[in-house]
Amino acid sequence: MNSIVPGTLAPRTKTGTTSAARVGVGGPVGSGKTALLEQLIPRFIARGTNLAVITNDIATKEDAERVRRSGLIAPERVAAVETGACPHSAIREDPTLNMQAADDLEAKFPGLELILIESGGDNLASSFSLDLVDYWLFVIDVAGGDDIPRKRGFGVLTCDLLVINKTDLAPYVKTDLPRMVREANEVRGGRPVLLTNCAAGEGVDAIVEHLAREVLFDR
Amino acid sequence: MLRLTEIIGTASEPHIAERLHSLSHRGAVEYVTLRREDTSRKRLHVFTDRGTEGAIILDRSEQLANGSVLLLEEQRAVVVRLEEAPWLALEPRDAAAALELGYFCGNMHWKVRFVGEYLHISLQGPRADYLERLSHLIADGRVSVVGNE
Repeated sequence: MNSIVPGTLAPRTKTGTTSAARVGVGGPVGSGKTALLEQLIPRFIARGTNLAVITNDIATKEDAERVRRSGLIAPERVAAVETGACPHSAIREDPTLNMQAADDLEAKFPGLELILIESGGDNLASSFSLDLVDYWLFVIDVAGGDDIPRKRGFGVLTCDLLVINKTDLAPYVKTDLPRMVREANEVRGGRPVLLTNCAAGEGVDAIVEHLAREVLFDR
Repeated sequence: MLRLTEIIGTASEPHIAERLHSLSHRGAVEYVTLRREDTSRKRLHVFTDRGTEGAIILDRSEQLANGSVLLLEEQRAVVVRLEEAPWLALEPRDAAAALELGYFCGNMHWKVRFVGEYLHISLQGPRADYLERLSHLIADGRVSVVGNE
């Protein structure tokens, strides 16, 4: 799948400009952020969502090139931001580069409905500025240890949606997944937690439905 | 779902206030309560105090604020109300403690304000979580909890 199927035009405001939903995807190194993107992209395109992607890397365009080469989305719809410093700097303290990249994509692709912004891999304290995104996901994985939720990292606590990835690996890394989910729900006070195995695409449909309900409002 | 795609004005503007006053007599003003940090968002899935489900979809140049009027019709109005986060007030024992407390709060990316000799932390989660993080400063008296607003 390598073409974009435009969906309905995003709602226009009194200023007449199109405002695409901006959704952040953050989380620790290796938790599966890019893998999740690769699962989300074809699903959003299949449902007719007019989509673009921004990836963040410290000193390369590795993740952007991976997504561009994937054939899942037109390469020109993938923008790369090189943070040159701690990844959270570019999504929280000074998100100017990402805001500019998002503005450029909106100007380049009129009618854009959704921009997925992937952070560079960081630590459990990273978070997105709400000046940059309307909604953000934090991706952790079972191989990182089932104690991650109860460590109460700022990202785990404050994200809009916590994603626990690599659920298929739980038996092999001696992770107590039910306990991990229970503690995630406890520390988040009932805010949403979803499970995925991005290697096989399991659980990703639920994330698409969740984002459609929370920020796209188009169905 | 009610789509709210523009900020018509603020509730304090005289011509709007007059209409809101009139609508309120008929119980036709609905309020959406937001946390202050959520006012930066341009898209929000919300419910009014009357249970109406809404989708706020704003242009990037728009800025939600306390009193933003999102709908103003003959039969109904929708107004934003801010839910103020509580503050945790702390008193450092001396200058050294104040420096350490300030550094620690910055490192935690907490929002703070300075009130005389006190430092206030905006609580974005359970108060106990913040006290736990600060326990190394509180335990030996370098920092004291004054209370929260």
